[in-house]
Amino acid sequence: GGAMSFLKRFPPPAEGVRHQQPDTEAVLAGRTLGAGTLYIAESRLSWLENSGVGFSLDYPTISLHAVSRDLNAYPWEHLYVMVNAKFEEEETKEGPMAEGEEEEDSDDDVEPIAEFRFVPSDKSALEAMFSAMCECQALHPDPDDEDSDNDYEGEEYDVEAHELEQGDIPTFYTYEEGLSHLTAEGQATLERLEGMLAQSVSSQYNMAGVRTEDSIREFEDGMEVDIAPVVAGQFEDAEVDH
Amino acid sequence: MEVSHSVKERTIAENSLVILLQGLHGHVTTVDLRDESTATGRVTNVDAFMNMRLAEVTFTDRRGAVSRLDELFVTGRNVRYVHIPDEVDIRATIERQLQAIHRVRYFGGRDKGRKEFPRAKHK
Repeated sequence: GGAMSFLKRFPPPAEGVRHQQPDTEAVLAGRTLGAGTLYIAESRLSWLENSGVGFSLDYPTISLHAVSRDLNAYPWEHLYVMVNAKFEEEETKEGPMAEGEEEEDSDDDVEPIAEFRFVPSDKSALEAMFSAMCECQALHPDPDDEDSDNDYEGEEYDVEAHELEQGDIPTFYTYEEGLSHLTAEGQATLERLEGMLAQSVSSQYNMAGVRTEDSIREFEDGMEVDIAPVVAGQFEDAEVDH
Repeated sequence: MEVSHSVKERTIAENSLVILLQGLHGHVTTVDLRDESTATGRVTNVDAFMNMRLAEVTFTDRRGAVSRLDELFVTGRNVRYVHIPDEVDIRATIERQLQAIHRVRYFGGRDKGRKEFPRAKHK
């Protein structure tokens, strides 16, 4: 058949190639794309036909991958890859596609799905191919993860070191990490509170924002701190000695 | 019951219900995927991002076609639901995973902090 429109010519990946499998057929939606080499690289998954054209898949678009040895389901052992994207296929000069016509499902309007099969001539390589893909997928965690608690930007959070310093106080961010999440207003508030805390007797913690019962009691006393002097700047119109 | 070697992943697990899924290693579990397909197989790995690896899988695709897959890796993003097997005691599993994380954390005997094991040798 003719060339699929999404096939392009590009050089094989040079860096971070965890696994490379020559003599591997690529099949999309039941139609073969030819024989070539599969490159499982850390940045993306690429397949290049022996003629030099091919395609790449970005890991965040890959929903799942699997080793299939079920010859009843598909006659050759292969690496199955499901992609959350649409791939244009050949114009139907030869008439409607007979099998594996997934892309035109009306249900897929919301979520496009493309199914690739990579059939290596060397079946024994499937385990290594599968594992290499697992490793590379793990390098691309979902950026759209709704759980903001998993937001670990900045330095790696060393829980061990943190817990040893803080004792039993449950903490989540280190001081530096917490700082990086504050707005300018938050920073100003933080500085003000820290100034107050620095004056307080209960100075066993150094992480602003964590309120112990001592600090709460101080605040609820109408900002007049019996235990320690009030910090200048707390209230602009207040007279303070310290 | 393996615990990740990554500090970051242990922290994520400790603070989310992924820790329960990690306790399912070895259990045959059914996972409903985002595209309406389902996979039933033995859990061999779950990482902090809920990427799941299953072995000896019966896979039912979104159209109902059934096939067997030797191994399956599904990204956390595409996991819609994990059926916790009936035989799994959820609370005990979570506690066991937390203990495993804490053992890793404090192994080696730091000078301060909790220790699960007595110091094996003097320095």
